[in-house]
Amino acid sequence: MSCQRLKHWIEERYGVEEMKRLAKHKLVPVHQYEIWYYTGGIAMFLFILQFITGMVLSFYYIPYFEHANKSIIEIVTKLNMGWFFRSLHHWGAQLAITVLFIHAFSTLLLKSYRKPRELLWISGFILLAISIFFGLSGYLLLWDERAFAAVRVATGGAGNLPIVGDFIKAFLRGGIDVTGDTLTRFYAFHVSILPLLTLFLIGIHVLLVQYHGMSVPLSLEKKPQKQVPFFPNLFYKDLIIWLLVLGIVVSLATLLPPEIGKKADPLAPAPENIKPEWYFLFLFQTLKLFPGEIMGLNGEMIAILLISCGILFFFLIPFFDRKSSRGEKSVLFTWIGVLYTLYFIVMTIIGFVS
Amino acid sequence: MKRIFFAVSFVFANALDLFAQDKAIEVFPAAPYDRFIIFQALALFWIGIIGLIIIIRMKLKEIERIQKMGIDQEKEDTPLLD
Amino acid sequence: MKIAYSLVTRRTFLNSLFGGWLVAFCGGSIYALLKFAFPTLGKEPDFVVLNAGDFVNIPPNSVKPFAWGGKLGLFFKKENGSTYALKGVCTHMECNITYKPEDKKFYCACHKGWFDDNGKNIEGPPPKPLEFFDITTEGQKLIVAKKGIKVELPKA
Repeated sequence: MSCQRLKHWIEERYGVEEMKRLAKHKLVPVHQYEIWYYTGGIAMFLFILQFITGMVLSFYYIPYFEHANKSIIEIVTKLNMGWFFRSLHHWGAQLAITVLFIHAFSTLLLKSYRKPRELLWISGFILLAISIFFGLSGYLLLWDERAFAAVRVATGGAGNLPIVGDFIKAFLRGGIDVTGDTLTRFYAFHVSILPLLTLFLIGIHVLLVQYHGMSVPLSLEKKPQKQVPFFPNLFYKDLIIWLLVLGIVVSLATLLPPEIGKKADPLAPAPENIKPEWYFLFLFQTLKLFPGEIMGLNGEMIAILLISCGILFFFLIPFFDRKSSRGEKSVLFTWIGVLYTLYFIVMTIIGFVS
Repeated sequence: MKRIFFAVSFVFANALDLFAQDKAIEVFPAAPYDRFIIFQALALFWIGIIGLIIIIRMKLKEIERIQKMGIDQEKEDTPLLD
Repeated sequence: MKIAYSLVTRRTFLNSLFGGWLVAFCGGSIYALLKFAFPTLGKEPDFVVLNAGDFVNIPPNSVKPFAWGGKLGLFFKKENGSTYALKGVCTHMECNITYKPEDKKFYCACHKGWFDDNGKNIEGPPPKPLEFFDITTEGQKLIVAKKGIKVELPKA
């Protein structure tokens, strides 16, 4: 058969046997926390889904402020299955960010970031930040009243950072205010800059996972390990979970298609009670805790400084947590992890309810 | 719940259409026939997924059985049969 | 090789020359790129000229929007008939505000901020009062200007 000849052709040129042996030797530990291993795979699957649906949507979307809103309405109302793929892109994004947060917090609580996996944590954190920015930039592309007001608030919030704030704000907005220039900028971020960065970082992230192997929680590290090969056991389990996730996303997309608001008008009053996307709610809620003025200083600025410090600490946690790097139990950082997780969950819920 | 709300609000939006120009954009096909097709397709999709999952689980069981018997570790110099 | 009175070897010299040159070269290129990526900021207008007929006859206790550059401006007539112009942008997070005639207050829907009819921030998160403008009329022209700006209209 020609298949045989093709196989031969490849085998003559590349070390296929070597690769096969490598694939066979990739073992994954089995223990009671293994369920968290799957979150990374789910995130990757959702990213692939986002890439595909996004590519198709970009066939029809027009990134110009006069037509942006209308082109989405046309995608949704006139094109074959347009409403479905737009909805799928929306729900895929929501789920991807949810899964990424679960992935991040599980890594935090199981301390998988400890030596030697610091770079994995760093690359993962950057991917999370990129995904959030993906969400924000994609949200503006709707160019409806809510998106307009939300991006005005979000970029304005970044402007409250001392020294670099105005710089960032102007860079994101492409001017002093949110205008059509902001839309083209966010479009460029959403469809070209961020996807390329994401691909690059996912490549690094996955390579590092292969290099280090799966992390085993500290409490189980000393005990004898049971291991199963990744291929085929884990691969098929991953496949099952991916299929379930696909089913969930498709169901959500069909049953709860997201709305589209009226075209943004810079001179119209802000819509009643705007809320940012849910993954910004914890920030939004934290900002609300601070009064407008603290001892003559701008309260917003202090709040944003504190939040930035919190996020920076989160980012650098593998370097602060010396104990678990040495393989000792690190109770303090368990509590810090729990605190971060609880804060995020509680603030998101409060933001959702209020 | 939200779906019912949407459905009801669509009915209202259609009724109010006579009075107001401002209506919510229909993000879901409104015709009952289209809706029926969509829900049918969704059900079929799920059946497809469940079928695949069942097959994969059977495959997994088979793999684990073979691994338990220890015959998946082929010797280095076994002649290949395919 | 090192000459007796030389402080650096030839290799260090070459390496630092290469490194420094590279940094300068890349720095210059990136600077050019960033110059392009960052926008030249426009600024808010010092004044705008409107058609007086459209605005002065609005009913008392109401507002009429106008464009203040790319932002929202509001022409405002109090209940007693005195007129004002103000920037219709909340001082908290730059959302557009609305006037609530029944309460005689300005309201920002984004974070539930309230201002009274003098623009003072009375409730909610806004840290500063609203910005009011000077208004003058010249025939049919209604000139709305930033406070303290001398308007010199081009002679037609």
